[in-house]
Amino acid sequence: MKAIMTIFKKELKGFVFSPGFLLICGITTAILSLKYFEGLYLFAESLNNRMMMGGVNQKAMNIHYGVFFGHLSILNLILIFAVPALTMKLLSEEKKMKTYDLLLTLPVTSAQIVIGKFLAGLFSLLAIISLALLYPAFNRMFAEFSWPMLIVAFLGIFLVASFYVAMNLFCSALTESAIVAFVLAVILNVSVWLVGSAVQVVDSSTARQVFEHISLSQHMSSLIEGTIRTSSLIFFLSVIAFFVFLTERVVEASRWR
Amino acid sequence: MIEVKNLTKSYGPNLAIDHLSFKINKGEVVGFLGPNGAGKSTTMKIITGFMSPSSGQALVGGIDVFENPIEVKRKIGYLPETPPVYGDMYVQDYLRFVAELKGVSAEKLASSVDYAIEKTNLQGVRKRLIQNLSKGFKQRVGIAQALVSDPEVLILDEPTVGLDPKQVAEIRDLIQELKGKHTIILSTHVLSEVQATCEKIIIINKGKIVAEDTIKNLATRRSGLLKINLKIKKLEPHLAQLLATVDGVKRVDPGESATEWKIETTLGEEMIEKLAQLVIQKQLGLLEISSEKQNLEEIFINLTYGSAAEKREKKELNL
Repeated sequence: MKAIMTIFKKELKGFVFSPGFLLICGITTAILSLKYFEGLYLFAESLNNRMMMGGVNQKAMNIHYGVFFGHLSILNLILIFAVPALTMKLLSEEKKMKTYDLLLTLPVTSAQIVIGKFLAGLFSLLAIISLALLYPAFNRMFAEFSWPMLIVAFLGIFLVASFYVAMNLFCSALTESAIVAFVLAVILNVSVWLVGSAVQVVDSSTARQVFEHISLSQHMSSLIEGTIRTSSLIFFLSVIAFFVFLTERVVEASRWR
Repeated sequence: MIEVKNLTKSYGPNLAIDHLSFKINKGEVVGFLGPNGAGKSTTMKIITGFMSPSSGQALVGGIDVFENPIEVKRKIGYLPETPPVYGDMYVQDYLRFVAELKGVSAEKLASSVDYAIEKTNLQGVRKRLIQNLSKGFKQRVGIAQALVSDPEVLILDEPTVGLDPKQVAEIRDLIQELKGKHTIILSTHVLSEVQATCEKIIIINKGKIVAEDTIKNLATRRSGLLKINLKIKKLEPHLAQLLATVDGVKRVDPGESATEWKIETTLGEEMIEKLAQLVIQKQLGLLEISSEKQNLEEIFINLTYGSAAEKREKKELNL
């Protein structure tokens, strides 16, 4: 446990003080600022129109759908690229700079190394997600909405982000080059969203059920609606654990080559 | 302290090390010598638990490296070929990080870091980013890292690479200082370094041990022949014939000047006494008599490249 904390603290410190991290935070805020207020403006406008025309659609009147959903989608899009940028160096750089030799000859297990690094990635992401949470929080000053629903939606995006971190850490473990790790990670991050599309394509009902279960968008949309399903939680936790496990295996396997 | 039994590491059909066995006692300083690609680093990596062997066993302090790697790694300080430093960390933070992972207790952390910094003369740069340091300083940070937990065993892979002569001397002194308290293995191809610091050397070539002995023993042995240098005052052209009559003298060659002679004998050091007596009896004016110690470089080249050189000679003769 102590070893995990030591590695976690070192990596987190490395993140926080690296210009790359600050740059990612900066770009995230810039994009979110543009898109959030655009969303807010469009939402207000459509509210006005509907009120004048009558026949209001319930869903469209809801700020959770009208604004927050778009906000989180943009955040997700940013994360697809930001998480690989953050995690690409976590293990590949160790190999390149030969500090891997040090880590693997210190009295720590591969699992401790991987979990420490995973947690550091997770916490630095928490910072980016908290940045995104500031926007709705400011909104609260002039609009009423329910907090719990928003929190659950952010929990959803956090779970997705953790999934990215686990998967991208795995990519970083595979190669010596940070660039290769980045490209591989982005491809994987994008492709997990494509799996959901298979639901529309396949004919067999069993296959459709399988794809529904592993489709990220299915799990995500229920969380954005504010419902926590145990199946979603189990899905996210198991894929995260799976990729952390795979990463641990890759690190351990380097001893056997 | 360290025992290696039948260690083999193969990469496909290539054997990096081939059934290596040796034993190192507690407190010994052992030099690992060998040409490039002989398997020095591989052996060290296996002992530190960084790599696994294809077969064989490595024990540190009686503990098998592969059955209980964590326990073994606690005892070892390891400096790999490239200093394993994080460029974005400050020297003292880095040493603290390593010490923490090595399991140094919280109260002792600060003193351990100070100890390593002091031993490697890093006081001036302790608050600087490692990436801004020169190669020599990085190397010293790497050595400090190996020392920081005060481990029982130090494994240093080419510790003096990239250092200037003064720093090399400092590291040598440091190793002398650590002698006895720590068991040290160091690999190098700088022979004078081994001569200055190690008690025992292991020479490996193509994954096999070709010599394992103390420096003294290695220096005096050479296919059972002892070489004696003789310097006299008088010019005596017939000395060669005279000396050849002495029992045990195998060959007499003229030396660098007319009054110097090189004598090869099959007997031990008592020959020096015999020859000295003879020279004094004949009143030739004995100026110098000494047994020639083969230097380490010669031994090294003989043992590693020797066979190749002989082959080349044979080839030339055939032509």
